[in-house]
Amino acid sequence: MPNPPDPDPGAWRRISPFAAVFFVGRTLRNAVRGYVQLVATFGAIAVLVRGAPHAPLLIPAAIAAVVAGAVLKYWFFRFRIAEDRILIREGVFRKTALDLPFERIQGINVRRSPVDRLLGLVTVRMDTAGSGTTEGELPSVRAALADELRARIAAAARTREARPGTPAPPEEDGGLRDRNRTPGEPLLKLGGSDMVRIGIGRDIVLLAAMLIAAAWRRPRELPYRFAETFGFSEEFVRPALETAEATIASSDALGDTTFAGGLVLAALAVVLALGIGTALLRHHGFTLWREGTAYRSRGGLLTRREVTVETARIQQLTLYQDAVMRCFRRYRLRVHPAADARASSHHDVPDVLEVPLLDARLADELRSGVFGREGAGVVLLPKSGPFTRVSRVYVQALLLRTGGVPALGGSLLLLSLTGPTRAWAAFSGAWGLSWILIGGLVALQRWRRRGYLHDEDGLAVRSGLVGRRVDAFLFRKAQSVTVRRSPLERRRGLATLEIALASDTVSVPCIEHGVARRLRDHILHKAETNRRWH
Amino acid sequence: MFVNPEVPPDSIPSAEDLDWQPLHPRFARRLRAGALLRIAVLAVVAAAIHFFATSGGAGPLVRAVAGLLPAMWAAVAAISAWALLWPTIAVPRRGYVVCEKDILHRSGVLWRSVKAVPFNRVQHTATDSGPLDRRFGLANLSVFPAGAGGHKICGLGADTAEELRVYVSARIEAESEETAD
Repeated sequence: MPNPPDPDPGAWRRISPFAAVFFVGRTLRNAVRGYVQLVATFGAIAVLVRGAPHAPLLIPAAIAAVVAGAVLKYWFFRFRIAEDRILIREGVFRKTALDLPFERIQGINVRRSPVDRLLGLVTVRMDTAGSGTTEGELPSVRAALADELRARIAAAARTREARPGTPAPPEEDGGLRDRNRTPGEPLLKLGGSDMVRIGIGRDIVLLAAMLIAAAWRRPRELPYRFAETFGFSEEFVRPALETAEATIASSDALGDTTFAGGLVLAALAVVLALGIGTALLRHHGFTLWREGTAYRSRGGLLTRREVTVETARIQQLTLYQDAVMRCFRRYRLRVHPAADARASSHHDVPDVLEVPLLDARLADELRSGVFGREGAGVVLLPKSGPFTRVSRVYVQALLLRTGGVPALGGSLLLLSLTGPTRAWAAFSGAWGLSWILIGGLVALQRWRRRGYLHDEDGLAVRSGLVGRRVDAFLFRKAQSVTVRRSPLERRRGLATLEIALASDTVSVPCIEHGVARRLRDHILHKAETNRRWH
Repeated sequence: MFVNPEVPPDSIPSAEDLDWQPLHPRFARRLRAGALLRIAVLAVVAAAIHFFATSGGAGPLVRAVAGLLPAMWAAVAAISAWALLWPTIAVPRRGYVVCEKDILHRSGVLWRSVKAVPFNRVQHTATDSGPLDRRFGLANLSVFPAGAGGHKICGLGADTAEELRVYVSARIEAESEETAD
């Protein structure tokens, strides 16, 4: 082990042996991450199980290999907490040495899996600025260590501030001076009925329910398609279903219709139960506090996640209102730290603080808490603010993309199959018309939802099709600003304004070119005269 | 002390009125040379298909491919002409400006964009050059802020790119000293 150049070397420590469980979990998660990998993994397993004569031997061998790998990973994992930094050495074959100064750590997030909770352990994840992925992770350490790390990081921040010549952070950020870090009254606590609302409120649940309802026409097909999706053959399901059908038909006068209706209702119930179950797993007992200058949330049924985010580090707020949520007058809020949102499908991204269910009052309170006196005019609520609509040309631009391209492409594809016959003309005409009709309605709705509003310091952009979404940020958080013009926009004297933040890119399409330029110059001016973006 | 004088927004020059710096004059030639290489690979593949389709047996697939040969060669010719013509259209529309506080890059023929990155948001810079770039004495400059909104300015002269990189690094340092965090 190389000697790190540190005057006060703390001892190298090991994590708990139960971390092996964590490493097994991570290996399995990596194996099924992404749809392509999921299919590849299950495909490989299926081929192995069917093809190889010694298939039953392969599975225990694979399990043994995964467990042995996890134990080795635990064996080579060491960490050390020094005066101003944390050092982590890990890796069996490819060794990595991480040296993370406390002042670069943005937030300490804590996860407790069921195993961890039984043993009083936690998994600590440290997020840093400028990196899209979680950099440091300490699996299965004592719960007290998380508090120790938090205290050390706060102390490091204090000494950094005490350095002469550094400007005091302005009031609206609260800076890191606030030493009162004890959590006060929770801002929000969610109970069981809230979980039901979260579960049935998501647009995706609504979509699944609508799809199932649309399948009403041929409900007998449904169980077979389901069975197919999950990899069972039709012959496997048919006897069971036919027996059930026969039983119902013999005992019920209505017979067939009842059976079909029952199937659809059962499918709907399963979808709703899945939605509510996911909500319960992820958000059970969700609690949100303001803790000094940070927001801290905790929730989860089995694995409990705890996310802390410093107010000054927040880049962007995104408020969602799914279609069903409108009936409850509730919203969902994501608080984005500096991390590449696009990296999420490939890497372990830092936990994002997400408030799954909140009302308008709390949303407004959180907005003013995060943005401070700046951006007082930046409204988060999609209905209340005086959002400016974008030009009507946006409908045209969307229609070209969502209606015109598939209509034309489909007609051309058909032409290559049938040749220019009368049947082709009739069919491709109907095809094109239906696409343009659907695309037109979608485009019109998306145009109605599009809007933006800004004051001196910040911008809010509204969008959505089924639900609504508002992205809001302060101009000084901007990383780069782009004015983009498509051929259509240039003909109409319009432009698209794109603002890249450290978290995500926000764009305002089809606004006057002059307005876009003025806004761009104003945003650049704000960004260039203020360095505080994280 | 943190100084932050208010500048009236009207006094900031608008990015469109700026004196855009063109890319290196050899860049269009470098793009055409790259296109020629790709065309050569494409032509070899097409010739191989042609050879197998005309000399092979009389299976239905071979006959179908043989019927499509003129269309294939027409497509190869069209792609080649377009690839050779494209740099002449696209390169004059690209350019960059280095201002006091930010660096701007414009690009695009049909979809035109002007992107600005403030110096005080730049995390790091990099220059790179492939074998073909070096043959023409060119290099590319990348400017990375946090997140996803960086520049990649292709087709600068090798010394221009290095000078710019040094200048941008110096500006970043100056910015961070002016308003130390």
